[in-house]
Amino acid sequence: MIELKGLQVDYLVQRHGFRSIKEYLISFGSKRLLERKRVLHGVDLQVERGECFGILGRNGSGKSTLLRVLAGIMEPSAGTVRVNGRVAPVLALGVGLEPELNGWENARLCGVLMGQDRNEVRRTMEQVRDFTGLSAEDLDMPVKRYSTGMMARLGFAIATANDPDVLLIDEVLAVGDAAFQRKCYARIDELKAKGCTIVFVSHYLGEVQKICDRAACIEAGEVVQVGHPHEVGVHYHELLGIPVE
Amino acid sequence: MLNTWSPAGRLRRAHAPVVLAVAWRNVRLRYKSSILGFVWSLLNPLLFLLIFLFIFSRAFPQVENYAVFALTGLIFWSFFATSSAHILGSLVESAHVLRSLAVPPIVFPLAQLLAGLFNLLLSFVPFAGILLVFGWQPTWNSLLVLPALLLFSVFLFGLGLLLAALNVFFRDIGLLWGALLPAFFYITPIAYPPDLVPDDLAWVAGLNPLYHYISLFRSVVYEGAMGTGAQWGLTALIALVALFLGWSVHRALRRGYIANY
Repeated sequence: MIELKGLQVDYLVQRHGFRSIKEYLISFGSKRLLERKRVLHGVDLQVERGECFGILGRNGSGKSTLLRVLAGIMEPSAGTVRVNGRVAPVLALGVGLEPELNGWENARLCGVLMGQDRNEVRRTMEQVRDFTGLSAEDLDMPVKRYSTGMMARLGFAIATANDPDVLLIDEVLAVGDAAFQRKCYARIDELKAKGCTIVFVSHYLGEVQKICDRAACIEAGEVVQVGHPHEVGVHYHELLGIPVE
Repeated sequence: MLNTWSPAGRLRRAHAPVVLAVAWRNVRLRYKSSILGFVWSLLNPLLFLLIFLFIFSRAFPQVENYAVFALTGLIFWSFFATSSAHILGSLVESAHVLRSLAVPPIVFPLAQLLAGLFNLLLSFVPFAGILLVFGWQPTWNSLLVLPALLLFSVFLFGLGLLLAALNVFFRDIGLLWGALLPAFFYITPIAYPPDLVPDDLAWVAGLNPLYHYISLFRSVVYEGAMGTGAQWGLTALIALVALFLGWSVHRALRRGYIANY
């Protein structure tokens, strides 16, 4: 169950691009080092347990920021966030994968990075073997020798192992090939059946309409519409200026 | 290992498995990426020792055993130089993970410190052998090198964390540090005895925190003494101040990291 009330998130950015301490000192502090850039303006959202919720939006609308707050990576500047259960963020493929280490060692390392304890890590390693379809030989190889497809499968397997309560996916499925996408959708269906709450960010309306129960459209840091994926899809396409078929 | 009653200590206890896993990864990477990985941490001080022996051994007749004198300082200087560089870059280097997973940023500088310590402790074995060959006479006081190392590590971590935080916003901090290190090396009496510093400039030498740590290490290892209360007190104070500074800067700037990695 996820609940957002009045969520406001700011980034502190280096507007003037001080990449060098020399430049900063020369300006004698006349230009501020960091400026607040508001990315989410008072978002209210509620996702029920076991729901698959899609988020559509243009680039820069704040989708990824929203996911980061749900994952606990960023803190809100104002408003409240409530997320019940264990969160598995899949915001990028291959996060934490170390090219020099092999598949097993990476599964263990990434599992620990995701906050899994020793038993969970062991279960992760088993599930990795099943999901990825990688042979024992492959898993003994350093990850730098893997194809991108293998790495994508490994990353997704590690992230979705141990049946999380909340799964956050940020546009990563589009990156892989058809085989990868098929496996991922199968895993998502599996998790849905187990009552996992899924928040699915995507650019592709087709994906969202296929697997989501409800969706929201986000534009310029505000949720402009929440409802059935088809209606939200129409609104989203209007925003993009694409005629709806 | 470090202060367990501070907020930093509590955080560390909560995330110990993550820190240890990343530290172990760092250690393995230092071994895997080059055969010289571990050997380099030995080679660097030894190379300098050879050079100094060649140039200076007869320049300082007041120093009883120049080889042991210099090597003691060099071992810990080398640890300081390599670890500070690794810690400094650790946040930017781990940007990919920090942007996509909820891992507290402090994990990465801390893991680099632990990896450096692991390397150093392993290297104590061959170094002890080499020191013995040069005529070092270990005493029970030599074991005091461990608490001294603990204080030194706290200082190093505070300083490294401060630099790492600044490095996220100012990418030339690494270059600046690289330029400052040799200067610190020469200001600190590592290759030469401290009595070479003229009396009127002694206070300048005293401002250098490394001066106090290196003399503490030399007291317990080279001189076989226990170290004075003033030495221990001062090094502990510097360590706590450094930790406080580093931690405060990190806390203050932490929210800005994610947009600027």
